[in-house]
Amino acid sequence: MHCSRWLAMLPLAGALLILRPSTAAAQDPRLERRLDPATLESVTATIDSARLQGLPVEALVQRALEGAAKHAAPAQIAAAVRRLAMELATARQALGSVSSPMELEAAAGALRAGVRPADLTRLRHRRTQSLTVALATLADLVASGVPPDSAAAAVIALAASAGDDQMADFRRAVERDIALGAPPAVAAAVRVDAALRQTPGASSRRP
Amino acid sequence: MFDRDEDVLDRVIDQLRQPVEMDPTLDTAVMTRVAAGGERLGRLAAVWDWAWRPREISVSPLAGLGLAAAVVGIVVWLAGRNPQVASPAAGPNTVQFVVVAPGAASVSLVGDFNDWDGGATPMQAAKSGALWSVTVPLTPGRYRYAFLVNGSRWLADPAAPRVQDDYDAPSSVVTVGG
Repeated sequence: MHCSRWLAMLPLAGALLILRPSTAAAQDPRLERRLDPATLESVTATIDSARLQGLPVEALVQRALEGAAKHAAPAQIAAAVRRLAMELATARQALGSVSSPMELEAAAGALRAGVRPADLTRLRHRRTQSLTVALATLADLVASGVPPDSAAAAVIALAASAGDDQMADFRRAVERDIALGAPPAVAAAVRVDAALRQTPGASSRRP
Repeated sequence: MFDRDEDVLDRVIDQLRQPVEMDPTLDTAVMTRVAAGGERLGRLAAVWDWAWRPREISVSPLAGLGLAAAVVGIVVWLAGRNPQVASPAAGPNTVQFVVVAPGAASVSLVGDFNDWDGGATPMQAAKSGALWSVTVPLTPGRYRYAFLVNGSRWLADPAAPRVQDDYDAPSSVVTVGG
């Protein structure tokens, strides 16, 4: 009888053996080569936690490698990876669980630039196609000096009708205007109105 | 002429009425073959019946849980083995990076696309020596990068948006649409 009980445990043991490599895979060889043991342990714990939450982890690996390349202090690397993991989690919460890794990484960049999570959610509701370029446009506008609220309002206004190419053209136009001396918020507002007028079927009503 | 025909017919009938001699073992051989075929069919039918006959199987809760975990584990393992298949639309785009670095001995492009390896993507200097460039294939996505001048000085791309940096060294970002 005892023997049969042990036999019944075999499938469970087999399953645990099969599942074990996914945990061990968190030890990324790229990180092992470039990080000291203490930093590696901290970064790996963050990456494992992110993986368990279903977040994309490649961006976390790259952030750690960036720190190693720039000879950052171990604590700085661990903190940067943790911060990005939190931003990815916030992005997923704002955009929903159907978001692609590229969308989440772009949304994390927008959050870092100062965009509010609520604006990410509004963008998701307004745009049916991939959000990657729209989110990148949003982050880039803020990086160019457009206030986060103005940048979000502009991109959300374009979201329903503009394709990725139009979104990229819009960003370039705003950046050009800023380089020529226009106030960033004004440049964004003027260019979004012009883009909406040119887009057939687009509502000129700003959200 | 009619009589001759009747004679021929009678002879044929007589010939046909002669008893035919058959091999005396024929009956036995035929019956043996029939019995053997029946046995084979019987075995197949038994296997078929066994396969389709419903039966009760007793499994302890732990064993059941283990079997379920094993199935899930195998599915997860198989899913993990499959590499992510890029759609045709997600193929690499060629992106050229250019930076002006007069007097530099070497300039490298370093970023998310080459694991931040300073030796992976050296840039080529133009004849004047001030303009450095390189072209790399990038799949759709958003990439952080910077230029590494003379192996020690980090330089952001002045032609691209800058990103807030965690490491007190400048970085830029490029978005490749897909």
